[in-house]
Amino acid sequence: MRKSSFFFAVSVLLCALGFVGVVKAQSEAKQFPVESKTLKNGMKVLVQSDHSIPNVALYIFYRIGSRNEHPGTTGLSHFFEHMMFNGAKKYGPGELDKIMEANGGENNAYTTQNTTVYQDWFPRLALPLIFDIEADRIQYLQFDPKKIASEREVVASERRLRTDNDNSGLLDEQLWATAFIAHPYQWPVVGWMSDIEHWTMDDLKRHFEMGYSPNNATMVVVGDVTADEIFQLCEKYIEPIPTHAPPPPVTTVEPEQQGERRLVVHKTAELPLLMIGYHVPQTNNPDFYALNILRTVLFQGESSRMYQRLVDKDQIALDVSAFVQPSFDPTLAIVVAQPKQGVDPAKCETAIYEELDKTKSALILDQELEKAKNIRLVEFYHQMRTINGRANTIGTYEVFFGDYARLFDAAKNYSAVTKEDVQRVAKKYFGANNRTVATLIPETEEKAKQ
Amino acid sequence: MRHRKYLAKVFFAALLALLLVGIVSAQTLKIPPHEKIALKNGLTLLVLEKHGVPIVSFSAIVKTGSAADPAGQDGLATITAGLLRKGTQKRTAQQFASDLDFIGGSFDAGADTDYTTISAEFLTKDLDRGLDLFTDAVLHASFPQAEVDKLLAQSIDGVKASKDEAEAVLGNYYGGYLYGTHAYGRPGGGDELTLKRIQRDAIAKFYSTNYVPSNTILAVAGEFNPAELKKKLEDAFGAWPAKTAPAVNIPAPATVKGKRLLLVDKTDATQTYFEIGNVGVSATDPDRVAIRVVNTAFGGTFASILNTALRIESGYTYGAQSFFQPQKVAGPFAIASFTKNETTVPAIDLALKVLDDLHKNGLTQVQLDTAKKYLKGQFPPRIETSGQLAARIAANEFYGLDDNEINQLEARIDAVTLESAKGIIEKHFPKENMVFVLIGKAAEIRPAVKKYAEQIDEQKISAPGFWPPAK
Repeated sequence: MRKSSFFFAVSVLLCALGFVGVVKAQSEAKQFPVESKTLKNGMKVLVQSDHSIPNVALYIFYRIGSRNEHPGTTGLSHFFEHMMFNGAKKYGPGELDKIMEANGGENNAYTTQNTTVYQDWFPRLALPLIFDIEADRIQYLQFDPKKIASEREVVASERRLRTDNDNSGLLDEQLWATAFIAHPYQWPVVGWMSDIEHWTMDDLKRHFEMGYSPNNATMVVVGDVTADEIFQLCEKYIEPIPTHAPPPPVTTVEPEQQGERRLVVHKTAELPLLMIGYHVPQTNNPDFYALNILRTVLFQGESSRMYQRLVDKDQIALDVSAFVQPSFDPTLAIVVAQPKQGVDPAKCETAIYEELDKTKSALILDQELEKAKNIRLVEFYHQMRTINGRANTIGTYEVFFGDYARLFDAAKNYSAVTKEDVQRVAKKYFGANNRTVATLIPETEEKAKQ
Repeated sequence: MRHRKYLAKVFFAALLALLLVGIVSAQTLKIPPHEKIALKNGLTLLVLEKHGVPIVSFSAIVKTGSAADPAGQDGLATITAGLLRKGTQKRTAQQFASDLDFIGGSFDAGADTDYTTISAEFLTKDLDRGLDLFTDAVLHASFPQAEVDKLLAQSIDGVKASKDEAEAVLGNYYGGYLYGTHAYGRPGGGDELTLKRIQRDAIAKFYSTNYVPSNTILAVAGEFNPAELKKKLEDAFGAWPAKTAPAVNIPAPATVKGKRLLLVDKTDATQTYFEIGNVGVSATDPDRVAIRVVNTAFGGTFASILNTALRIESGYTYGAQSFFQPQKVAGPFAIASFTKNETTVPAIDLALKVLDDLHKNGLTQVQLDTAKKYLKGQFPPRIETSGQLAARIAANEFYGLDDNEINQLEARIDAVTLESAKGIIEKHFPKENMVFVLIGKAAEIRPAVKKYAEQIDEQKISAPGFWPPAK
């Protein structure tokens, strides 16, 4: 996990969505049954029993992220994620982690443009404790000015690590800021440094009230549990939490991009870097599956077209990849290429466009289509092999497709993708007018000082 | 994200899974049964059946790693491993990639200091095709000159690219500064100059000398019929000609005496990234479990003493951790963190103070109990998948550790007392003698950090190599 926290989240979610495909017949893929219940306060709870290890993975997905923020308070969702570990009523500052670890548990969380996700991993004996902790902090978070001041510094340090001192993090931030001019995807999840330094206690409290209502959340529990015991724990700890209004809808729609945008970052660096962003639809759009097949054919594995062209044949890049984050609103498909030293990033750019154009002018091969579907099946099993992978995947489907069951009919949806579909999405989304090109150009130390 | 997985460095390679129903319960953690088979040609096979998902995981160890790289050719073992899939007697690199990707298989090979690992995973239904690919790469690599040239050129640029990210190369400088010319001090992946010296002949020789059956352990775990799998493995590897590889003798490294500090100048850094410590312990050290318990309390978790001081209470950093990297002989111990340029000295002062306090006060009962509970509670997911299990049993076989490494883990954790923890701290955590390695903006931090050591060294990050300076 070398990139930004947002990148990390991206890769986690990407994997979660990437796996889907189940090749030929659904019966070929193993089934992993899920039980579901919606609590009276609106929180949906999904449970999958697996007694392989005496442990449990518990995820809570809140549908609030940086898309619910505004200029001046960017990064608030992510900061808030940090504050959720800094003390509530029953479990005060510093106690949550101590108590969890003392009971063999561990936790973390991640924030994206769309969601804030809390993760607990623990031995089953700690189940009641974890519910008690989660209920406590959802309802009674403390806002201690001293903790806020200290956590501001922590988040600033995280930003330096993953963005300011990381070329790919920095370029990624600039790319989003350029590709989006209206929609909130234009600002970074971690927030601009000046916003990290300036948001107020009132901003935080408003954000809590807005985002942390039970009807704005989904809980997923996978592991050494039964659905009945989880539903009982939910009745006791979670159901009494009152519901309130969820975040107001994000109504801003990014206007269609009508021409290429370009940006350059000059920075002390050993190697240049290239990122190209294309506007693509949100996750629950029907084109999701064809886009994912296209991405696989072009970018996944050393037999992929882009690897073969840029890394192997032309030898102009160290690596080339592409990713799309799960999203509620239209987002970006981002291509990243690491040019070799001394190679003009423009050379990589040209090669990438040529390979993209080939998928528009001719159909992909039958074998490529089958390969892409096989890769999806294997990724599905890779996600299903751990309780943690299952919890994240089930939740990601529920949140971004609106129904976890999409996970289990992804097979059907991938099978339906044709070579013509792949060609159609290549033509529709990967044109010059729809792209933003970001380049990092290394500067020598002497020049950087001027 | 709130924090990273601090245990990564310590346990990553190892942590593995017990998925068999009924085998694991809260107090009786056991490795699933597995079989060891010695083939006539000297190859050691380990077979572990594990159901859950239809995947088969291969994990091979060739008992020669980067510690055996000839002087001036650091990176040879790594490059050799990287080329296994880049052309064989019957496949070009492109054909290998196509065949592998078509079945959604994975294949990774790389060298650590102690040994080379080759791992691969395939769906059970593709086992025959997967085994054919795996065998082809391990037994019949052909090292085409064009592929050698490509990988070397990419690797040299890879070293440069990694220097754009302080955290990615901190360990290389730390290892070099701590171990000097000892094998553990050299960059396993090579550097900008050593990689240029590597020739195809040396690669082919390294391969033919060391990739031999008696020098190899192959672990296979996952969903399969064991009798059928054993037959397949014997058919695939039985004809591998018997040969003996030279043993790799790595001398025990000397502990650093006194205090030394290396400042690596990265002119655009807005944070200082540092590691502080000394030579630690070997993978077979009798104290290894107790050390893990004490280190968990000191710097192995989010609520650890170190992270509480440097992050939770002071806000100096996004994260602070400490780790031992046990190896064939004593691997490093380090305290690691980062902080903005202005708080470099307060953060390092605080790290040294908590280390000093650990020596003065030891652990509290609560800290000790928490570390034990945490280690036991978080262990099952570390041996959850067939890939984790295959890697774990192969590594245990390499180090000569038996199943009690897992089966007795809980008992060994439970046996640690406050008194024995005190002894562990005294013996294994540095007090007076240590090295400091800092990557940061020298112009801003140089004057203030001189106070930490009698000997100060400095290097530009853009200079080729790590430490000692490349020649």
